[in-house]
Amino acid sequence: MPREIYLVKVGMTMTEGMVSEWFIADGAAVKKGEMLYSLETEKVNLDVDAEMDGIVKHTAEAGVMLAPGDVVGYIFAADEEVPADFSGVASPAVAVVDAPKSEVPAAAVSAAPEPIVAETIDGRLKSSPAARRLAGELGVTLVGLVGSGPGGRIVEADVSEASLQSSGTAMTQAISGQTQEALVKASPLARRLAAERGIDLSRIQGSGPQGRIVQGDLDQAPSSRLSATPAQVGPLAGSSVPVRGMRKTIAQRMHQSLQTSAQLSMDMTAQMDDAVRLRGQLLKEWDGEARPSYTDLVIKAVAKALGQHPMMNSRFDDTEITLLREIHMGLAVSVPEGLLVPVIRNVHELDLKEIAQESARLATAARNGTLGLDDYAGGTFTISALGMFGVNSFTPIINQPQTGILGVNQLFDGLTWDGDKPIKTKQMNLSLTWDHRAVDGAPAAEFLASVVEFLSEPYRLLL
Amino acid sequence: MKEFDVVVIGGGPGGYAAGIRAAQLGLSVALVEREALGGTCLNWGCIPTKSLLHSAELYTQMCSASDFGIEAKSVGFDLSKIVQKSRQAADQLSQGIAQLMKKNKIEVFTGDASVVSVGQVQVGDQVLVTDSIVIATGAEQKSLGPIAIDGQQIWGAREAMTPTALPARLLIVGAGAIGVEFASFYRALGSAVTLLEVAPNILPAEDIDISALAAEALSQRGINVQVGQGLEGLASVAGCVEATIAGETLEFDAAILSVGVAGRVQGLGLEALGVTMNQGFVVVDERQQTSVPGIYAIGDVAGAPCLAHKATHEAMIAAETIAGHFVQGLQRDRIPGCTYSFPQIASIGLREQDAGDRALRIGRFPLYANGKAVVSGHTEGMIKTIFDSKTGALLGAHLIGDSVTELIQGFTVAIGLETTEHELLETIFPHPTVSEAMQESVMLAFDRPLHL
Repeated sequence: MPREIYLVKVGMTMTEGMVSEWFIADGAAVKKGEMLYSLETEKVNLDVDAEMDGIVKHTAEAGVMLAPGDVVGYIFAADEEVPADFSGVASPAVAVVDAPKSEVPAAAVSAAPEPIVAETIDGRLKSSPAARRLAGELGVTLVGLVGSGPGGRIVEADVSEASLQSSGTAMTQAISGQTQEALVKASPLARRLAAERGIDLSRIQGSGPQGRIVQGDLDQAPSSRLSATPAQVGPLAGSSVPVRGMRKTIAQRMHQSLQTSAQLSMDMTAQMDDAVRLRGQLLKEWDGEARPSYTDLVIKAVAKALGQHPMMNSRFDDTEITLLREIHMGLAVSVPEGLLVPVIRNVHELDLKEIAQESARLATAARNGTLGLDDYAGGTFTISALGMFGVNSFTPIINQPQTGILGVNQLFDGLTWDGDKPIKTKQMNLSLTWDHRAVDGAPAAEFLASVVEFLSEPYRLLL
Repeated sequence: MKEFDVVVIGGGPGGYAAGIRAAQLGLSVALVEREALGGTCLNWGCIPTKSLLHSAELYTQMCSASDFGIEAKSVGFDLSKIVQKSRQAADQLSQGIAQLMKKNKIEVFTGDASVVSVGQVQVGDQVLVTDSIVIATGAEQKSLGPIAIDGQQIWGAREAMTPTALPARLLIVGAGAIGVEFASFYRALGSAVTLLEVAPNILPAEDIDISALAAEALSQRGINVQVGQGLEGLASVAGCVEATIAGETLEFDAAILSVGVAGRVQGLGLEALGVTMNQGFVVVDERQQTSVPGIYAIGDVAGAPCLAHKATHEAMIAAETIAGHFVQGLQRDRIPGCTYSFPQIASIGLREQDAGDRALRIGRFPLYANGKAVVSGHTEGMIKTIFDSKTGALLGAHLIGDSVTELIQGFTVAIGLETTEHELLETIFPHPTVSEAMQESVMLAFDRPLHL
């Protein structure tokens, strides 16, 4: 029996993930310990290695969201025969709504080493009748497609693949209802019943293996044919973005944070002239070693202020507030897919240079998707910077189960008064959101004032 | 005191499979078995009886070899060797299970187990501490009121599969799968067999057509089939048994009781923990969990049908559930059943008599119209398929004939995938095989047979 390749579960909280890349091609040989695939979850990218020698067969395509523990492929031992048409215990989930992100031209998609372009010398395309019919329905041009049939003949599968790959979310609209339903996993009986009752299978959640729609799933399904009122003509939905992966996690966490704690925000302005000067000097001084950002200065200031105001570095539950001895600073980093919060561990033990180096490393790793599990764990306070977008004030949402989060805004030219004379100064607002269950307004303001004070007298940050 | 993630009690096809799957999912597993790995199925059920039946079939074929132009003179058999062969098969497979336990790093404890408390299993003087307990103790034969198996002339299944001499006159009480298989075996070797069934049909779990055809086939082989007939008395008398049937006292050399099984729960201590029972079986939900969290039950002990493959499937469900995976619960209408009588019987899904007023399309294709069946001389039998006439869904399949136990999986897959007649008609069945009759049955149900 071939050995299953599972979608590895990393961490207790992992609810879904995907093979983001197969390192070993379908049908290729692998050695035990060799990198097999890259796992992507809402939190991490992790390379998974092979547990045995053998021939790898994929059953899940890269980019398809699955649950941890799902089978994504098999490894056949050397003495096992690999069936030519092997597709595993069940064929991979085909998820129409999960439109591929890439806009790879169809010709580049085929894994064949030397793609045969399905065009004969006289210019006639070789294609099957079914392929031509489907191409007509989907509006796919056959010219330039790579045929996988005999002699490069374009078959139905080539057309549907090309359609999937080429047009991203537009595909959802391009595919006619009938064809779209053909891509949904459903039992033959469910398909027949859906057709009879006028049920759109793509709107039904299947309860069978890997979400396959079975007869029982149709019982509660609304039938379009039976409804007397015409379909709602609302604003045209241009395209939809599936809520999954990181988006889903962020949605859940943010909503849950607001629902379960008593959050409020306040702003305070820091005089930043000295900080600007100090940073300029440090950039020169540490040239090549570290590039401290204003956020790094804020991190250091917050770390020091938290030492003075331990209630802000705490964890609230209904029976007690735990004051945390160590300070691990979460750092919100924007990535194309959403938001990651890597953690600078034991930030109170690091000097400014080390903080600058660590925050740069984490931000780079976050954007490259190479953060490790340890890089996320155990944050006790979070800093979120939106200053680079010109933001002057905002109300960040607490990263549960922490007690506070500090928003870092843009540096701007402000005024102070020397007697009656206005003086132009560099200023920055800091936006603190905290949990009123743990800390009242006055101590929160004292904490924020401490941060502001450290930034206004930044040389103390080097002590 | 040893700690495990899972402790499985019972090493049959439910228990050992649960152990292996749990180990594959990364859990540490202990398995407790008081007798031999493999359980009833492997040691005292499916496997040795199939060996006995294979010998009997071979003997029958040798006797009719001349029909095929083969001359086999002085064909005979040695009952002790037939039994010995069946024991070898059981022993070999049991040792195989021991190897599988080792390979999967499952620690096997020998002895009687009792569940001391939730999370604690006692085996002898050892206490195993665990998060999850899987009860897979199987079932044991029921006796018939005051009539008990004495091992002398009144036999249970174990005695019936280890005979020292062939009973000239044999009474079999209960014509379920086990009774019918023993009837086939002993009749093939020459015993005069009376098969007694209190229900109106033999094989009462099967479709009515199949029961009727089976009764006819058994009668043709010389088995005295008595249906709708209870046993009024049975007593061992000086080397034989006297049975009272319909007021008449009849003498037999041996009697086999095969009147059903009950869950084996005695001594486990489940009642004391509050585990809910129903008629001798442990009640489980669709994840195989009992009424007490942390205790699971699978296989025969968790209720009928008492079939090894049902136990193995429940084992998968329990192990996956324990490991935190979500799996589909057991779908009871999709469990196939096989009886290895002569002829064989195999079935899955809806029986015609249970359809009520549901509109059906039924195909009944006789094997005499199948080329391969004619070639091998096994023309006896039929393939019956039942479809919903509105949706075309395949609801049931009932087969009787030579080797049909190897055919039923085709329909099992079909029903599992919720196929309609369309897919079955679109499928190309290879020629010449008996499997063509499967498709012909479908064609017949939809009024388009080719060979009839």
